[in-house]
Parts: sequence; C-alpha cells; structure tokens
Amino acid sequence: MRPKLAYSFPEEVLEHVFSFIECDKDRGSISLVCKSWYEIERWCRRRVFVGNCYAVSPATVVNRFPKVRSITIKGKPHFADFNLVPEGWGAYVGPWIKAMAAAYPWLQEIRLKRMVVTDECLELIAKSFKNFGVLVLTSCEGFTTDGLAAIAAHCRNLRELELRESEVEDICGHWLSHFPDSYTSLVSLNISCLGNEVNLSALERLVSRCPNLQTLRLNRAVPLDKLANLLRGAPQLVELGTGAYTSEMRPEVFSNLAEAFAGCRQLKSLSGFWDVLPSYLPAVYPICSNLTSLNMSYATIQSPDLIKLVSQCENLQRLWVLDYIEDAGLEVIAASCKDLRELRVFPSDPFGLEPNVALTEQGLVSVSEGCSKLQSVLYFCRQMSNVALLTIARNRPNMTRFRLCIIEPQVPDYLTQDPLDAGFGAIVEHCKDLRRLSLSGLLTDRVFEYIGTYGKKLEMLSVAFAGDSDLGLHHVLSGCDNLRKLEIRDCPFGDKALLANAAKLETMRSLWMSSCLVSYGACKLLGQKMPMLNVEVIDERGPPDSRPDSSPVEKLYIYRTVSGPRLDMPGYVWRMEGDSALRIS
Amino acid sequence: MGTLEQIDAPHTQSSSSSSSSIDSNNHPSTTPPPSSSPSSSVCRNRTDLSTDLRLGLSISPLSQSESPFNSTPREESFNWPPIKSILRSTLVGKQSHLSPKPSLFVKVYMEGIPIGRKLNLMAHYSYDGLVKTLGHMFRTTILCPNSQPLSFGNIHVLTYEDQEGDWMMVGDVPWEMFLNSVKRLKITRADRC
Repeated sequence: MRPKLAYSFPEEVLEHVFSFIECDKDRGSISLVCKSWYEIERWCRRRVFVGNCYAVSPATVVNRFPKVRSITIKGKPHFADFNLVPEGWGAYVGPWIKAMAAAYPWLQEIRLKRMVVTDECLELIAKSFKNFGVLVLTSCEGFTTDGLAAIAAHCRNLRELELRESEVEDICGHWLSHFPDSYTSLVSLNISCLGNEVNLSALERLVSRCPNLQTLRLNRAVPLDKLANLLRGAPQLVELGTGAYTSEMRPEVFSNLAEAFAGCRQLKSLSGFWDVLPSYLPAVYPICSNLTSLNMSYATIQSPDLIKLVSQCENLQRLWVLDYIEDAGLEVIAASCKDLRELRVFPSDPFGLEPNVALTEQGLVSVSEGCSKLQSVLYFCRQMSNVALLTIARNRPNMTRFRLCIIEPQVPDYLTQDPLDAGFGAIVEHCKDLRRLSLSGLLTDRVFEYIGTYGKKLEMLSVAFAGDSDLGLHHVLSGCDNLRKLEIRDCPFGDKALLANAAKLETMRSLWMSSCLVSYGACKLLGQKMPMLNVEVIDERGPPDSRPDSSPVEKLYIYRTVSGPRLDMPGYVWRMEGDSALRIS
Repeated sequence: MGTLEQIDAPHTQSSSSSSSSIDSNNHPSTTPPPSSSPSSSVCRNRTDLSTDLRLGLSISPLSQSESPFNSTPREESFNWPPIKSILRSTLVGKQSHLSPKPSLFVKVYMEGIPIGRKLNLMAHYSYDGLVKTLGHMFRTTILCPNSQPLSFGNIHVLTYEDQEGDWMMVGDVPWEMFLNSVKRLKITRADRC
C-alpha cells in the first residue's frame, strides 16, 4: 500500500510534509520507505549531520543532498579530548569545504567538532557562501585569527561565531575590527578560548551595534573593569561568559558592575569567572534567580563563596563547578535548586595524591535525592561505594547520562573493598533510558554483564582500567543493542571478543581501543573480513608488520564507512585491508 | 634544579625507550595487568608525578603523551583522569608558583607541511633527545646542534623563535635557557639556511 500512497500525492505535498520532520533519524527512515520517497526527501533535505567525517565522502553527500543549508561534521575520536589521539591524526575539513563551496552556494551553517580547520578553509567559507550565518567550531584546531578576520570581513549575515574550546593560534587581536561598521547581525559570539587580548574598543563597538546579540562569551584577557561597559552596550544579553573576574578592589568598579548586571534582565547563563575574586561576586546576586545555567568550572574559589552564589540560583538547570563546592555545597544545591537537570563537578587538583577538598560520593547522593529532574551527571571524586551508586540509581531512574570518574584508577568500594560492579549494575538496571555511561573504579567482567543485560538504550560507553577478560567486551558488544560509540583504554580485552562480534561493529559509528590486548593479526583479519569497516591501527613505535602478528597493537580505531579507505593517514596509522597479508615483507 | 637527572631517570628511560622499537620490544607486555594485580604501574607513575610536581619540573602530567614516542601503556595512565586541555591549563595556571612557565607545549612546524604539531619540551632533557624525537615525528634527519654536516642532501636543521620574535638556531644557548626563551620550533632544510 505504502508506495501507492506515495504516488497518490504530488511531490510538492510530500516535500511540504517532510519539511516538518527535523530529526535526522526520522529523515533517514523516510528515505528508506521507497525509491520515490528517497528521491523527494533528498531534494528537500536542508540539514545534514555527519557523525564521522570519514564515514562518507564529501562527494557522496553533495550528490545525494543538493540543497543543504546547514551541515554538522565531527572528526577525531572523542578520546582526542584527553590526548589519546596523536597529533596530526587527520580530520581535515578542507575536502568538505571545497566540495561544499562548489555545490552549496547557499549554505548557511557549518558546525564542526574535533576537526582541523586551516585559515584557507576559513577564507574559502568567507568567500564561497553568499548568505553564510553560523560557524561553530568545537574543539577544532589548525587556524589562526587571520582566518577569523576573513570570516568577519566577508560574512555580512553572520549570526553566530562560536569557538568552543578550539585551539586558535592567536596572531592578532585586531581581527575583530574586520567586522564592517555596517555589520549588525551578530547573535552569538564565543571567543572564550582565545589566549591573547582582543581589541577592546573594536569589541565594544561590535557589541553595542548588534541589537540582537544574545550570547557573548569573552576570553580571559578581557579585564573586569571593561565588563560593565560591554554589558551596558548589550542589555539584551541572554548568555554571558565573563573574562577575568578580578581587579583591584575598588568600590566604583564594583558598583559600576553591579549596576550593569542589574540592567541585564534577560541573562540566563553565566560562565567565565577566570581568576575570580570572591568580593566581586555579589555584583551578580541580583540576577541569580533568573539563571538557568552557571559554569564556574574555571572559578577557583572556596566552598563558602560558591555556596553563597549557588544558593541564590534557585532556577538553575545546569551547573558546572569545581570540586571546591564540596559535599556541603552540593547539599545546599540539593535543597535549593529543584530544577537542576545537569551537574558536572570537575577536580581542582586531579594529580594530587591526597584529597584537597571535602568532596565525596555523599555530595552526589544528596543531589540525587534533592533534584528530581537531574538526568545528566559528570562527577569526579576520590571515593565511591556500591551503596551510594545504588541509592543514586534508585533516586534518579530518569538519568540519561552518567559519567563517574574516580580519580585513582581501579579503586574498590571504599567501605567493603569490593569491586564497584554492583553499583554500576544498579545504575544500568534502574536508569532504563541511560544513553551515555562512563565507568571507573575497580570493575570485573561482571559489570559488563550488567551493562549488556540492562543497557538496552546505551549509545555511548567509555571504559578505562576495567574488566578481566574478553568476556567483558563480549557482554557489551553482544548485549547493548543501541550502542553507537564504544571507547576503551587499558583493559584486558582482546581478539576473541572483537572477532566474535565483528558484525556488531558495522552497526556502530566507531570503536576505540588503546592499550588493550587486541593483536595485530586480529586487526588484519577484521580488515579482511569486514570491507565496510576501516580498521586503523595507530602505532607510533613503527610499522606493526615489524612485530609478530600476536603482539598487541597500541591503539585501534574502527569505524564503518561507505567511502572506503581514507587518503590522509599519517605515517603512524595503518589501515588493515584485504590484501594486507601480501604486503608483509 | 641540580636534581634533574636523578628525578627524571624513570621518565627519561620510558620516553626515550618508546622512540626506539628495539627498546619497546624489551617490554613485550604492553598491557596493564588485569585487576588481579591492580594499579601497580599506575601507582608508580603517580608517585613519579607528584615528585615532579613538587619540584616544579613538569607542568601537566597529561602532557607526557604529547611527545608521540612515549605512548607505551604505562605512560598512557598520564592521560588519566580524563580532563580537557582547556580546564587543565586553567588549573595549571593557578599553580603557577610551582612551575616556571604556564605551559611547556610548543608548536613545531616543518617546511612544506601546513599543520604544526604540538610537543611537550618537558618530556625532553637535552637537545639530543629533542632532535631525535623530532626526527621520528617528521620522518627526517635533523642535524644535531654543534655537529658538522656530512652533506646537505636531505638534511634539516632546527630553528626556534624566541620571546623577542627572532628566529635562532637551536643549540645556541644552554638547554635550560632555551626552555625559557623558546616560543615555537621550525624545521627547515639545511641548504636554505
């Protein structure tokens, strides 16, 4: 019936109906219904998400979707954030920008994550897309402020320029003055990752002439005494990242700042606060009750000052904070922030051997009790117990993201000295909608049995220093039906589990394994048997051929692809191919 | 820092060992022990690390892996706990009384390659080690400072930009002074100098 139904509507009608469907997954499903839907859908697809830049070639994307206006592309593996991916690995956006410059003159939005973006790419963007509006570069690298200057100078309709945690070579703070005087369309500017000073007068002029500016995230080099002026020029701001939040304590600086904050009645999000001087924090108190998002993860202040601040933010939905908050502060949050959905607690002294703050599992237990909407957690601490994890799981079955990092690897339950299998088991059992999980502490294969049994909606799993045999990995690969990304380091998982679940890898976006027990021989075999997978061995010790097949590879990155081998592999990456056996000399 | 060699002995060994395949073959067991003997290697690392920090020698233990030739699993644990570099550098900046510089990463560029690579100078203890690492990293022969070239064929030399923005030949000052003044490195062909 369905194909007939499709023919009974004119294409325009179906196109119109499809236009209401925004979810990438649903668009994908639509295109699988029949040939005619596939055709109609591809001609009206405006937004494309590429979860791995090597899973498909730029040419394939531009041929299939000729009218894209917005693209999101992700590059390096997630573990690149933590230095596990060597420099020069790849994820160059150049080929994508070139293909899109030729195919999509009306492209408006580019969002990139963990990609290498050169100034040439930025210049090409600046001059190729007539109506370009959004450039978001998250954890990208390879470009300088010269490239940003080109964007500023040429993209007259630019609405968003966000450099989230990107590594920008900061050649010159004057790039901001390349925005023409007639330019007023800016909605969002995030320059928090830039290292050097920006031209403050250019920034002030830019901010004050853009009436729709909603988000402004400054860098550490913007001094506190300039903040008031910037805020006065943009009282409509919704999200603000301050620069350095310190200055000589002068009453007029304070009152000036307090007045400016009070004028920003729309402010809902605050971040920045580098080098914060606590005596200036009361300047934001009057707007605290409006805040839904507060990021104090760069603010190295002690518990009492943090408590004074957060206890006034009763509408917070998202809080990022250093562990200076301590258990006492988290208890206050549990009592006062009833709308909290996301909590991240980062370590202030991750490499110290002894705890420097009074933060334990108890703080997280408190928040799980008090904040009934809590669904996303990233928590660094030094001790954990199964009973605490069980309590958290029972309190918050609505949890969707749970990342726990116990700072010392392979630490058992500090009360019983047992592994934490039962505790994490309780998390996956009770939190039925859990999509993301990171494990830490002492864990045996049993925890992976729990995860395989209960983690049916799990999409991303991070594992380090855990498990005791192939069985652990086998449980996960054979049990987690929705798993898309799996990243593992320093675990005794090897060939058997990997080869037994080879077909599973084709259903996933990627698998990362470093310092595990996967042999070079198994990698070769996998590459031969699974032509839809790119099996890439990363070994900086030299060619893996020079060692026995049975010796474990340093790092392994496997991903499915429809575009075959990539052409830009650095010297320390080897792709396993069908004929690789022949290349052994 | 008269105790440099003494403190760094274990590091020196591991970071240089991984740059030569012969040495790394001496450690065939490249994986950590299963949980039956938990975290012994980890503990050892962390102890080294804290010694380093107290002496202000190493800024960020995570940065150890920045040098691409020390990624034996033992070294991997330096990338733990998993913290993004921006937060890491904020925290490091805070402890600046412990460290001579806020960051010891420098970018290395090679003629003809558009993308620079990051390198942690604190993972090295002399010009020789640095030159060796870079030679592997960029797969070329780099002339050691103060040595006479045999020929100018495919040989590269190492230059650096100092704090004043001048480009100098690496090796012109003692190693410790070099650490204080280097901003970035560039590898250029010897016959162009």
